[in-house]
Amino acid sequence: MQNFNFIRPDNLEEACDLLVRYKDRAKLITGGTDLIIALREEKLPNCLEIIIDISNLKELNYIKEEGKYIRIGSGVRHAEIANNKLIKKYAPVLSMASSVVGSPQIRNKGTIAGNIITASPAADTIPALIVLDSILVIRKGKEKRKMFLKDVFEGPNKVNLKSDEIVCEIYFEKLPLGAKSNFIKLARRNAVDKSRMNIAVVAQQNKNKEITNIRISVGSLTPIPERFKDAEDLLLGKLPTQDLIQKAGKKIAEEMINKSGYRWSTEYKEPVVKSLIDRVLNGIVEVE
Amino acid sequence: MYKIINKSVKRIDAYEKVTGKAKYGADLNLTHQLYAKTVYSKYPHAKILKIDTREAERLEGVVAVITAEDVPGNNIMFGKFPVLAKDEVKYIGDGVAAVAAESREIVEKAVRLIKVEYQKLAGVFNIKEAIDKNNGKVHSEIEDNLIEHSHHLLRSGDIEKGFKEADVILERTYQTQFVDQAYIEPEAIIVIPDPYKVGVEIHGSIQNPYSIRTNVATVLGLKINQVKVVQSTIGGSFGGKDESVMLMAARSAIIAMKTGRPVKMVLTREESFLESSKRHASKAKYKIGAKRDGTIVAVENNVYTQGGAYNNKAMFVNWRASIHAAGPYAIPNIKTDIYGVYTNTVYGGAYRGFSAPQIVFANESLIDELAEELNISPQEIRIKNCLKPGDELGTGQILLPGKIPAPLEKMINNVCKKTDFESKRKKYIKERESFNPIKKGIGLSCTFRGAGLGGEGIDSASATVTIDIDGSILIQSGLVEMGQGMRTAHAQIVAEVLGVSLDRITFCNTDTSVTLDCGPTVASRGTLAGGNAMLIAARKLLDRLHKRAAIMLDCNIIDLVSENNFIFNRLDKSRKLTFKEVVEECLKGQGLSLSAQGWYTPGPEKLSSETGRGNAYPTYSYGASVIELNVDTQTGKINVEKIVAGYEIGRAINPQIVKGQFYGGILQGLGYALIEEVRNKDGYLETKNYDDFLIPSSFDMPEMEVTIYESDDPVGPFRAKSVGELGIELMAPAVANALYNATGKRIRELPLNLERVLLGKTLRK
Ligand SMILES: Cc1cc2nc3c(=O)[nH]c(=O)nc-3n(C[C@H](O)[C@H](O)[C@H](O)COP(=O)(O)OP(=O)(O)OC[C@H]3O[C@@H](n4cnc5c(N)ncnc54)[C@H](O)[C@@H]3O)c2cc1C
Repeated sequence: MQNFNFIRPDNLEEACDLLVRYKDRAKLITGGTDLIIALREEKLPNCLEIIIDISNLKELNYIKEEGKYIRIGSGVRHAEIANNKLIKKYAPVLSMASSVVGSPQIRNKGTIAGNIITASPAADTIPALIVLDSILVIRKGKEKRKMFLKDVFEGPNKVNLKSDEIVCEIYFEKLPLGAKSNFIKLARRNAVDKSRMNIAVVAQQNKNKEITNIRISVGSLTPIPERFKDAEDLLLGKLPTQDLIQKAGKKIAEEMINKSGYRWSTEYKEPVVKSLIDRVLNGIVEVE
Repeated sequence: MYKIINKSVKRIDAYEKVTGKAKYGADLNLTHQLYAKTVYSKYPHAKILKIDTREAERLEGVVAVITAEDVPGNNIMFGKFPVLAKDEVKYIGDGVAAVAAESREIVEKAVRLIKVEYQKLAGVFNIKEAIDKNNGKVHSEIEDNLIEHSHHLLRSGDIEKGFKEADVILERTYQTQFVDQAYIEPEAIIVIPDPYKVGVEIHGSIQNPYSIRTNVATVLGLKINQVKVVQSTIGGSFGGKDESVMLMAARSAIIAMKTGRPVKMVLTREESFLESSKRHASKAKYKIGAKRDGTIVAVENNVYTQGGAYNNKAMFVNWRASIHAAGPYAIPNIKTDIYGVYTNTVYGGAYRGFSAPQIVFANESLIDELAEELNISPQEIRIKNCLKPGDELGTGQILLPGKIPAPLEKMINNVCKKTDFESKRKKYIKERESFNPIKKGIGLSCTFRGAGLGGEGIDSASATVTIDIDGSILIQSGLVEMGQGMRTAHAQIVAEVLGVSLDRITFCNTDTSVTLDCGPTVASRGTLAGGNAMLIAARKLLDRLHKRAAIMLDCNIIDLVSENNFIFNRLDKSRKLTFKEVVEECLKGQGLSLSAQGWYTPGPEKLSSETGRGNAYPTYSYGASVIELNVDTQTGKINVEKIVAGYEIGRAINPQIVKGQFYGGILQGLGYALIEEVRNKDGYLETKNYDDFLIPSSFDMPEMEVTIYESDDPVGPFRAKSVGELGIELMAPAVANALYNATGKRIRELPLNLERVLLGKTLRK
């Protein structure tokens, strides 16, 4: 275990100041479900001096509706998101994803920002937030900036956030009326297990059943979480058929191999992603 | 008719465990204790060129550093385990030095300051490489990497003649993986220098106190009785807390003797995975011959178990395997050979089942394959061939009616009837073609299991029962409680014999300086052998009490009855004394001893080492199960829905505890079947913690319906026999058979994980 001082600031202001002062000698902690493990494995930088506990900050703990947006404080825990009425109504895909993170204990501790910043390829809420086209509100001292969630990832377990920056909020547009969403998680065991693969989708059809809106993201497939635009383009504006859906699945499998290379697990993942795309879309799309 | 046994009374140690009063090894702390930690090898196989301990020794707070040079007695323990590796490391978990310091933090820092220079060597990492002569040797003195005394065989009938008579012959190979026992509590040891004489006192999470005592004594160059071992509360063991705690105890004891201070060593989870034993990986080649009508005429098998770098169990594990390898069937011609091999990997040891999970997976998969080949149902082929009253085992032992029960036929039929096995099986075969990617399957398996140690060793057991002046009773067994409920079964036996209520009984953890050495707590013998010892001790005391009571009540001793805390004359029930009155008179009035040792020994089993034939075990337990599952044929994910199982165990001393053993065993068996795997890559351990080594969660638990079959088997106390291990072994083959039923795919390698089920083959990183 690494040595450090532990500070629990009273408000966000103070937390931001501390971060600016200590920079990479500081680490934020919320639920600690990732950070404590990294600490024990001594994977944090050697220069670590303080750990700043922001888990109690009220400023980071809210879920609210604001016009066409849903805003989630970065410190909100998975259990709250999973059960929140607004999320269930306007972004069910996120509620579904949050409800399968780890176990009740992990969901009661782990937060949405923690899940994002750890940036594990297997993270469950990330694909859901990606298909919601989420935006992060980031603060450094008193300055604020915004950034699309998809742009924060640099690689597996790597984000391009400065050490003095803090994520304050994640927000996204409510899903439009009539849009449907779906999430599936594949794991080796039925609880407390990292996803072998997870898929988040949003889809909408007009009254002619043509697809007017489609967003697909798959976890554990590519180094950086993303929407699979090629597959989406294939479906967009079309009348979905089983054949078309299968083609979309194939596109995603191809993209996986292009981006990740042919790895030991590809032989497994390739057929599986095709089948699961088929399944997840058939769950929400009316097919000809 | 029984007052205390055959009832689901509450566990006698439940209060202490539930309220946190029971201390586990890691909870113990002594003033002036040192914290010790092992420096482990960097390579799976290497020469040690130099160990530089100077920097560690200079660190403030470090009190002692030891290497192989500091071992006062013998550095090599049973099974070739070195306390600390001297010239060569043979696997990644070898200790090369141990450090003791004033705090945990300091010792963690100090182990990293030990500089070891190695010269890497090539190694053998799996069974294939170990057998292949050109791949090098794990121990220079052993040419063929064959573990000493690990080859066990069984020869019955004429194998060649048998195969000539067969209409159908199948040859198949089955493979199983290393798995960890995955107990919640990692290993903990605390060694205290004996304050009064030369010697040490060892506490900790120790499954087998007596073998630890013997081994530590040789390491320290002391007499056995200068080492005292006291078992702490154990947080699960399943066979695992043995070699690792032996190593820890030896290292800590050396430091304790050297420094004169108590030494505590607690493993991290990663260290526990690294240094503790695993269930042997195995590769089993089977050949089976049968008549058209399904009568099995010959079985030949050749099984290799992977032992790892050192091994003190393969010789026993493989013997058990040799008796059971042809399964619970009456087969006239059998040729069995089981071998254990050394490899430069983590090592195999005891894990609940002790060869059965591997063997039963192979054999019960094979029986289904044979049934398929002959176009007979899995139920029918088992009913046709299974052991029945009067049948002869491959060993020549006869299942004499009235002596050794053979109830499998009824048990198999019952589980099949309860689950509607045959009609579902046929229905699911039809549904293989259906559009739905989620397929259902149903699978059957059955087993028999020799009770106790049998020919593996002498199955004697000890017990000490002491009655005090207030009428309370202290029981102490030479076998240990590790969560299985043995202690409660023992208390129930003693209370039943003495006719007292259970609340009078207090238990005492095993202490080698008090109770006699009766070997390890293994082989599901805690109640069978240990309970018999309790029975003997309690009967001795009852006899003393009744002798006195007869005088006090002025009646014939044979007319006395003890029941409900009274001793009375059954011819005139008003003539009675309380249990306590008789105790007081014995102890105070007469100066009699009310402490008794119970010593039970069935004597050696008689077996021929040339043929393996003879009476291997005094009796057998039986099991049959049906599994219903669904499998997602697009992801390979198996969900086990329901298990219906029956087990014949003689008599249940405590039916609730017996069922608990089966529920737990079943889930552990499913973990083995589906997800558990200790992975080694070129000798390096890949699964170091529970994020990689997955075991089933409560969400993976299927519905279970367990039936206990009782019988009048005369061997055990009140006719109780073995329970502990039986639950685990039926699962893997039943899952594999159900998977076949669902998909038409036969998978012969465990675990049946996502990749194997989907692709039918193994993917490796
Ligand atoms: C047993 C177990 C099971 C798990 N199962 C799953 C699972 O099924 N699915 C899944 O996706 N994850 C799983 N996880 C991972 C983990 O629980 C999640 O990633 C969780 O969301 C992390 O949140 P946290 O609040 O605990 O983060 P912490 O551990 O507190 O922090 C994680 C990282 O985020 C940084 N951070 C936290 N808040 C901020 C902020 N506001 N601004 C900037 N940086 C910040 C921290 O500095 C740290 O680097 C599991 C973990 C465990 C231990």
